[in-house]
Amino acid sequence: MNRLVPRFLKSSAFAAALAVTAGVSATDAHADCGEVSITEMNWASASVVTNVAKFIMEQGYGCKVTAVPSDTVPAATSLAENGEPDIATEMWINSAPVYQKLEEEGKVKTIANVLSDGGAEHWLIPKYLADKHPELKTIEGVLANPELVGGRFHNCPEGWGCRIVNDSLKQAFDLEGNGIEVFNHGSGDTLAGSIAAAYADEEPWFGYYWAPTALLGKYEMVPVDLGPYVDEVHQCNRNTECNKVGKSSYPSARVVTGVTTDFAEREPEIVEMLSKLSFTNQQMGAVLAWKEDNNASIEETTVHFLTTYKDVWADWLNDDAKSKLAGLLK
Amino acid sequence: MATYDPVFSALGLEAWCESGTEKASGPVSMADLLAQNAGTDVPAPSIWELPFPSMDQLHDACSAFPQSRVLTKGIENGFLDIKDGLSLVLDPLTQPLSWFLEGALWLFETTPWWIMIPVLLAVVMLVSRSGRLVVFVGVCLFTLAFIDYYSFTAQTLAVIFVCAFLCVLFGVPIGIAMSRSDRLQRMMIPVLDMLQTLPAFVYLIPLIFLFSVTEPKLYGIAIILYAIVPVVRLTDLGIRLVDKDVIEAADAFGMTDRQKLLKVQIPLALPNIMAGVNQTIMMSLSMVVIASLVSAPGLGVLVLRGIRNLELGVGLVSGLGIVILAVILDRTTKLALTRINAGQDR
Repeated sequence: MNRLVPRFLKSSAFAAALAVTAGVSATDAHADCGEVSITEMNWASASVVTNVAKFIMEQGYGCKVTAVPSDTVPAATSLAENGEPDIATEMWINSAPVYQKLEEEGKVKTIANVLSDGGAEHWLIPKYLADKHPELKTIEGVLANPELVGGRFHNCPEGWGCRIVNDSLKQAFDLEGNGIEVFNHGSGDTLAGSIAAAYADEEPWFGYYWAPTALLGKYEMVPVDLGPYVDEVHQCNRNTECNKVGKSSYPSARVVTGVTTDFAEREPEIVEMLSKLSFTNQQMGAVLAWKEDNNASIEETTVHFLTTYKDVWADWLNDDAKSKLAGLLK
Repeated sequence: MATYDPVFSALGLEAWCESGTEKASGPVSMADLLAQNAGTDVPAPSIWELPFPSMDQLHDACSAFPQSRVLTKGIENGFLDIKDGLSLVLDPLTQPLSWFLEGALWLFETTPWWIMIPVLLAVVMLVSRSGRLVVFVGVCLFTLAFIDYYSFTAQTLAVIFVCAFLCVLFGVPIGIAMSRSDRLQRMMIPVLDMLQTLPAFVYLIPLIFLFSVTEPKLYGIAIILYAIVPVVRLTDLGIRLVDKDVIEAADAFGMTDRQKLLKVQIPLALPNIMAGVNQTIMMSLSMVVIASLVSAPGLGVLVLRGIRNLELGVGLVSGLGIVILAVILDRTTKLALTRINAGQDR
């Protein structure tokens, strides 16, 4: 619908909005970037990505940015059904098969790996447990000593992409036959809560989690080696229709920024910037750890990133944006 | 330069303020950042933009003044400090709830459907004495089983039976006690109001800290706290509504307090108590989805899957399954209620 609004209306609305938002010196009349919507996923690293991108687009490129709170699957579905929002960032595309379909249909363009190292999904045990019983670092060791990991596997909630894979792997490794009860969590919060509780009492814990997350930044966990990654097997494991489940570890997950094809044509400058916007796991981990240590809000974390990693994000900008943000970059 | 700087200097508190943590080391706000970019100080706000003198605003002016997040952090730490003692007491006390729930789930899951469904129908017949209702319940259960929702339905029923039973077990005595003491009633009513209005998530958070998240009692407590309210309220109300003349007559016959309670007050209050039981069952059913967030099995899990994956069909059908269960339970208890009423009118 937005695209039908006449240009002058949009730009005047934008100018008004900019004048209202916290006394920016001059209304940048020459910036012709319009309204942009970007997803803000409901976990910490995604919020950082979104807010950094939002800041750069607003202050460097003069866009009017709306951050839409979302989640992987709803974002992909919204893209498919409505062609909105314009930008979907920190998409873990392994958990959203819809996204891959959209890309094939040409509705969406993947422009960057926003976490350049990729996300990592693992079966994990706490560090103190691995130090005490090094044999638990492989799945064979865990299966041979179920009592050392508390006889329980903490599984993903229903509806997560990893749940399907874990359910396949649990058959392939015959967890239950080896005396490991599978506990299906109801939400990500209780899954995280169980890790925190185990760490508080140094109890055994064995289950699934992913990185980069603030949780794994705070609690040191050691991955359990599930053997080599076999693409064919993994493709079957993540498909509920496929019955020939097998043993394979998780691949490193691609975490991308995608934009609608419309948007790519409309705002090539922004797309150019977004295609460079990416974080290494080490940077993201450090930023999230800072947030945790200072008990900081997302806004403060964003500011922390922008002030600490100037040379990183300076490279993302074009010359025009650089001159606008020069006050910060010096 | 923050808005409330002059306040602190006027009060002569500058020295105290400066003793606080160095301002630059703390998180910087977005407004500061924008000002730094523009190369100016943050412009002084006009009177229209005067911020409320909140903790954060005062902290900006005086770094020794605590920010509001210190308050929430303090509450969290306070809770964590008493947590160990609390769970030492509460954990064994609530352990039977876990056993009940595990037992009921085991019973409902292992009993084959061709025993379970007839038994349920027999219970409905016994309670309601209505052939039409039995047929209706039978059709509903067979439909749910036919579309492969039987095991989820059975899990939900198991959880609800245990929780509703415990609600009645504790709720009725509490209600009776409230009806006999005005002071207790005055104390309990705010508590009941709070339980009913407090969003369920709020008391789920401390529960997650207190108990292991893998224990079924976590969702059991959440359901019971929410659903116990109507049965308590209506028991209290029912007994208080018993006709004064009847009580006078009972006194005239020389009845003891216990005889009055068991032979006069409770029988006459029974319609109200049963209405409370009906509401309690309905409210525990309405908690099914929220309880699934803390790992309760049953139809709620499917609703959550529907939401997370936007599987419209799964969400709608499982939601409808919950509605069907609600209708069945509501009709059955209502018919039991009308039977009691009819019995009293005779």
